[in-house]
Amino acid sequence: MRIGLKIRRLALLAGMAVCALGVSAAEAAEKHKIFLSMSYIGNDWQAEAANMVKAMAAHKSLADKVDLQVQVAGPNAQRQIQQINAMVQSGAEAIVVYPISPTALNQVVKNACDKGVKVFAYDAEITEPCAYNVHIDQLEAGRVTAEWLVKKLNGKGNIIAITGVPGTSVDDQRTKAAKEVFAKYPDIKIVGEAVGMWSQAVARTELSKILATRNWNDINGLWMQVGCFTANSMQLEAGKKASELLPCAGEGSNGGRIQMLPEGTEVEGAAPPYAPAGAQRISYASPPYSGALALKLAVEAIEGKDVPKTTILPLPVVTNETIKLCDEGTWAEMKAGCNAFKPSLVSNPGWFASIFSDQTPEVGLNAALVGQPEN
Amino acid sequence: MISVSSPASVGFGLRRALARNRGALIAASVLAILLFVVDWISAGPLTYFDVSFLSSGGATSALAAIGQTIVILSGGFDLSAGAVISLVNAVLASSMDPMAPGASIVLWTAVGIGVGMAVGAFNGFFIAVLRMQPIVVTLSTMFILQGVTLLVMDKPGGFVSPDLGSFYLGDAIAGWLPMPLVVIGVVLLAWFWLKGTRFGTALYAVGSDADSAAAVGINIVLVRFAVYVIAGGCYGLAGVFISAQTGSGDPLVGNPLLLSMFAAVVVGGTRLGGGQGGPVGSVFGAFILMMVVNILLVLNVSAYYATIAEGTILVLAALAGSLSHTSVLAVQLRAARARLAAWRAGILPSQLERVDRRLRVSGPLHGKRDAALPPPALYRRNAEVLRYALPAYVCLLVIVIVTQIWLGRAILNPGYWNSLLVLSSFLAVLALGQGTVILTGGLDLSVPWTIGISGIILAGMVNGSDAALVYALPVVLVMACAIGFANGSGIVYLGISPIVMTLATNGILQGFALLYSQGTPAGFSSPMLRWFMTARLGFVTPVVLLMVVFVALAVLLLGRTPFGRRVYGIGNGLRAARLSGIGVERTLILVYMLSAVCAALVGVMLTGFSGQASLGMGDDYLLPSIAVVVVGGALITGGRGHYLGMLGGVLLLTALQMLLAGTTLPYATRAILYGLVVLGAVMALRERQPH
Repeated sequence: MRIGLKIRRLALLAGMAVCALGVSAAEAAEKHKIFLSMSYIGNDWQAEAANMVKAMAAHKSLADKVDLQVQVAGPNAQRQIQQINAMVQSGAEAIVVYPISPTALNQVVKNACDKGVKVFAYDAEITEPCAYNVHIDQLEAGRVTAEWLVKKLNGKGNIIAITGVPGTSVDDQRTKAAKEVFAKYPDIKIVGEAVGMWSQAVARTELSKILATRNWNDINGLWMQVGCFTANSMQLEAGKKASELLPCAGEGSNGGRIQMLPEGTEVEGAAPPYAPAGAQRISYASPPYSGALALKLAVEAIEGKDVPKTTILPLPVVTNETIKLCDEGTWAEMKAGCNAFKPSLVSNPGWFASIFSDQTPEVGLNAALVGQPEN
Repeated sequence: MISVSSPASVGFGLRRALARNRGALIAASVLAILLFVVDWISAGPLTYFDVSFLSSGGATSALAAIGQTIVILSGGFDLSAGAVISLVNAVLASSMDPMAPGASIVLWTAVGIGVGMAVGAFNGFFIAVLRMQPIVVTLSTMFILQGVTLLVMDKPGGFVSPDLGSFYLGDAIAGWLPMPLVVIGVVLLAWFWLKGTRFGTALYAVGSDADSAAAVGINIVLVRFAVYVIAGGCYGLAGVFISAQTGSGDPLVGNPLLLSMFAAVVVGGTRLGGGQGGPVGSVFGAFILMMVVNILLVLNVSAYYATIAEGTILVLAALAGSLSHTSVLAVQLRAARARLAAWRAGILPSQLERVDRRLRVSGPLHGKRDAALPPPALYRRNAEVLRYALPAYVCLLVIVIVTQIWLGRAILNPGYWNSLLVLSSFLAVLALGQGTVILTGGLDLSVPWTIGISGIILAGMVNGSDAALVYALPVVLVMACAIGFANGSGIVYLGISPIVMTLATNGILQGFALLYSQGTPAGFSSPMLRWFMTARLGFVTPVVLLMVVFVALAVLLLGRTPFGRRVYGIGNGLRAARLSGIGVERTLILVYMLSAVCAALVGVMLTGFSGQASLGMGDDYLLPSIAVVVVGGALITGGRGHYLGMLGGVLLLTALQMLLAGTTLPYATRAILYGLVVLGAVMALRERQPH
């Protein structure tokens, strides 16, 4: 019985192996072997970023140059170390990585660099100097959003802060920068603070907890890393009119962007609370295209072009003055300035809408949604 | 004895040794097969470098798994292991001086092990001396340590001397033996020495049967205390190793290691509950789990399938480890054959003539209660329930009063109570499922992605239409039944341990959820569902009314139905339950189905609450679902607990979180306070009499 089982398993593995070898041997002859090591795949941002990387690899400009293999490391830095080692061993030319920890990978990345492998980190950072980093300036993100909120409140009022994942550099930098701004205005008081884990669902439970002992009328503004869409929905549920929504500095979810459109705007597929409400917002994001851009830069680096070690992406900021609805969401359309997508196309309001970059004409809305590149 | 052994006794001794170490041996052979497969499939042959990388990759988990195994052998459970690794990493990285790159390996290793042992002593004090349940104590410790770690180091950074790295990751014999293997070997040698001492015998004895161990004069307080201290030392060493490996600090580095550590222990052949197995198997188990990373890479398994493949490999490894003449699967197959034969011969009990074969007992036994013996008073009948359920409610009262004093607007504010009940409703539903599983002595780790996939499928089908809800809800609940059936069948018919089976199911469900949603869950809740979770009828949200009905039904289900009695029966003793004619298999499968249905219900409720479903929406509910059950007075090993107690636990933890959320205390302080309150709340639950 036991032997039978093992033989069957071996046969299965062998079958899979033959397929894998057959495919890769035929195609990978002259392609660059590039690996993507993702973190935990079970959240919306990660899945969207992965779609964009896959779309980039499938674009006609790269499809016959790149053999991309995607692997998931889960939330475990130890596994990512192991995974990167295995990628180096199996002959990677470049590794694009969403680093689970900015520091824990340093040794293994250095080892990879020593063997001539280009390592590109996207969104978060790897502190090892030989790695290439592609991300936004998180301090700027915290500062710009906090300054916007202070200005909206004329330097006076009670605010609630919902932060990200405690113990990460990104959360630390954003929160510290924002609090430095708030500290300059003695009349701005943070009356409630909760850990939002960068999730709309968590933001709702945390806000509900805070509001159990408080009232929306005691609060003047919200600073959230993720959760403005949820906060606005909660205010509408509590009976506020759209014109009374509190100013909210927060993430670039498509739901939040749609709410920023003037109340009464006709939008296909909109249904409250995922509907225009004229909400006062500044919407920023760690853009999910960073992985796709990292892949593109990695190919350039392999081909011998000069790529800077650090690429600081421009902070995508949208306010009520710059909000504009896209029709189809092609790259060309976004280049012309649109930055929100119809609910009929993007049915998940928590979906991250900051997918446009000057540098990535290969990927548009379909890339982020289903991994299809632009033509 | 060595000189006069006859060939026969050698054979006997060898067979016995094989039988005793079967778990470890099978884990070793699975590892060998995996190594062979990787070697065979990958482009080049395995070189020394590959082996060296693999050994350093698995070493942290292996070292921690050794500690966890020792705890489990003694009948305990340690959830603080991952947090200890993070703490040691943070302490080392923040106290080494980057200006003086040289460092003493002995000193810093001692610091790491010392920190781990100190935490172990903290755990040991509450568990051994105060006789509290290991799972609650170590869960509280986990929260406290996460807070302390963030106080030591609030973001990744710091510096660990390269000397440490070159020592721990280098070669013991260049080109032949990597240092990580030597470190693991040294720890295992120390274990073998320990096992041979009186303490080692006592350890297995306590794990097998604490009462008997105490009866033969073993000081079980001392043994248990020492176990946690030794295990803490192992986690400390694992923390030193990961510090050496990464060269810097990250306050979150150890936390995700926890669940895979348990998987490693179980795959390595150690039985949860104690008394059987050993750390050698766990080391192989840890390496098997690490090898999976390489297998997925060489097979180029697509990202969405990765968790499915991992789950499958986990189940297969556990199956391979348990296959033998006496394994559950073999017994089930034999039983099925016997049933088939009996059916053919026409002697199956159901095929026999129906004759009343009950014993004829005359007298009042079956009839009315004797009038001379009045039923015991209400409080006497419920003394047990009260004793274990009351502490949660007393603490709840204290928390509410503190909230009133600190934040105001609590006791007389109907909005506060409504929020408390709405936010509690998720855990209250989960507590019935998880609680029933725990009452039978199991654990359901598939809760997070049962929630996730239910919410995602429901939102996708409903897509804002109330009419669609009418058929979407039954579809989701039927799917949950299937998930629970799969869990239960794997546990009952294949004999896979509940932890491994449900952990694997969780991974497989995650894969399905990703495939179904293509990474972007579509759809949103219907207006009615959202109304149900967020609207107000006067002062209450509609879901609160449902909760009242749900609680009443749950109390009836566990307390007043045959199903409930069977659950308690199984938890109090599997064999006794089977001998008293309980259909153990059927009941257990129903229990896991109940748990899955409860989780699916929570997925539906969360979708209504948030308005949409998201990937990972259930991730934050696993540990709390276990915590509330135990805080409410249930015994993690099964057989004791009442739903009203669990409900008290739910309300207590939710009220506590609401209190902490209303303050502006830093997160680290909140985590520490949370852990301390949980620890304090269950202080009253400790066993009165020493064993």
